[in-house]
Amino acid sequence: MALPAQDRWDLVDAITRRTVITGAYRRNLGDVLGDLTVKPLTGIPVAVAVLYAFWSIFCSFAGDLLTDGFMVKAFDNRWLPWLQGVWPDPASIHYFLFVGDPLAGNCFEAFGVLTSGLFVAIGVVLPAIFIFYLMMAVLEDSGYLPRLAVLTDTVFHRIGLHGYAIVPAILGLGCNVPAVTGIRVLETRKQRFIMMTLLAIFIPCGAQLGVMLEVIPDTMGWVMLFLIIGFGVFGFLLDRIIPGSNPEILVDVPAYHWPLWENVAKKLMNRTKSFLKDAVPFVLLGVLIVNLLYLVGVIDALAVLLEPVFVAWFGVPKETVGPLIAAFLRKDLAVAQLSTIAMTPYQMITAVVLVSIYFPCVATFVVMLQEGWRELLAAVGVLMVTVFVYGGLMHAIGILMGVA
Amino acid sequence: MAKSYKTVLMMGNPNVGKSALFNRLTGGDAVVSNYPGTTVDYTEGVLIVSGQEYEVIDAPGTYSLEARDAAEGVAVRLLAENPDAAVLIVLDATRVERGLYLVLEVIERGYPVIIALNMIDAARERQIAVDFRMLQKILGAPVVPTSAVSGEGVRDLAEMIRKAQRVDIAKVRARADGQFDEPETGCGLCGGC
Repeated sequence: MALPAQDRWDLVDAITRRTVITGAYRRNLGDVLGDLTVKPLTGIPVAVAVLYAFWSIFCSFAGDLLTDGFMVKAFDNRWLPWLQGVWPDPASIHYFLFVGDPLAGNCFEAFGVLTSGLFVAIGVVLPAIFIFYLMMAVLEDSGYLPRLAVLTDTVFHRIGLHGYAIVPAILGLGCNVPAVTGIRVLETRKQRFIMMTLLAIFIPCGAQLGVMLEVIPDTMGWVMLFLIIGFGVFGFLLDRIIPGSNPEILVDVPAYHWPLWENVAKKLMNRTKSFLKDAVPFVLLGVLIVNLLYLVGVIDALAVLLEPVFVAWFGVPKETVGPLIAAFLRKDLAVAQLSTIAMTPYQMITAVVLVSIYFPCVATFVVMLQEGWRELLAAVGVLMVTVFVYGGLMHAIGILMGVA
Repeated sequence: MAKSYKTVLMMGNPNVGKSALFNRLTGGDAVVSNYPGTTVDYTEGVLIVSGQEYEVIDAPGTYSLEARDAAEGVAVRLLAENPDAAVLIVLDATRVERGLYLVLEVIERGYPVIIALNMIDAARERQIAVDFRMLQKILGAPVVPTSAVSGEGVRDLAEMIRKAQRVDIAKVRARADGQFDEPETGCGLCGGC
């Protein structure tokens, strides 16, 4: 037997009256902080401070301390020379595949499975995602995310979404894969499509951020700026093109909690473990595949074929075709590969932005397919147009600024 | 005599601690965070208690059985796909009234239910007293106060799952108005005592 909704609510009231007694409530520090972090006047400065702290801790711990301070030295001064010394026959195919360039002085340039592959996966990306996920866990467990959602609501309404879209967006900065499924918290198909498309195109993942931090520390800010502008502009356009509604945000803002140490540790362990298990083999395999494609001449042929588009339209060297192929497997690998190509700083910015917005990595592609093949096809269509338009636009901006 | 169920579907509002409780019950690895909508897909685990093996499913949070978004859609679909399941509904003890709507909906669909009154420690801290025995009496199904964070009550909850009850909504209505009929066979209202 089913009751009408109103009768059900009446019954809820009747039951509650008989079972719940609410005593005098004293506001605690958590409640006061809760209010302060959600009211715009105090909340927005706090949000800026939180995001800035997140970013600077990420840069200093992952980039400076772990990668530059330890991993680079270990890999470039110990591992690479040792491997170059003991691996037999520098002219052979297996040397090219696994060790790479026998004359390389660092692990980015060598580009072998066991040199660049291991270095990117373990030396650069592992510290980056470890620090990132540690801070993410604290953000998730404290109860701050729903407050950030309320604060950013107005901005997101301009691009056909509401504030809760910030949750998959931030998850996506760690890894796009859980973020794509996380989009299910949005109510309408229009919202989900816009968010999925913007996520796949404009949100770089933690692995990619880690490599960017290592290879282009000075121009990374520009890359991020171009991605954020693109997110806003294309979101604004999609909102106008895609039919459907964008309801108001309706979110239960929980009380603040101190993150439980065991829970933070558990999440960190599980996410790191899944990176080692699922992502590292992909990075190594990616280097192997790219090297094989170089060996059989596919990449050079593609470079010649696509030269007009790359050089004339995007304004980047034709050699960037190779990294774009790697980008389908792993974006972090592609950025690492880009760093070894001779380019002007602006060309590097354009190339890294292109690698970010061009096609989601294969793992993201698979989860997008699970959420619906029609959405995936449409997202890929939008993506192609975006890459072409935005890449050309960046080139034009570069020409106007006299830096291209 | 209570029938034994093999599948236990965990439902409840978002951010009431379903995944935390699921991890406590099954030793699972469901992701736990402090924001609504952490779980957007389901996780399965196994609970063995008193020689009985249960398959436990942790569903995404939902406010009602009329799905508002795709994550709630997953929860509603799970309920439909498991017609033989017992439903373990998790309530936030600090806001019981919000979760009761879902409890009633599930009861109306004829599923056997058991209620976990979770975050009982937070309710105490906030001076909110929930008379769980009265709630049990009115609903006619077991109600167990728990705290997934501290583990309080989790053992009791696991033991009580076998006593999940199908409930007649008309009787709930009557009892909520103070009309408690005589138990038909001894103290057989809910089996919770």
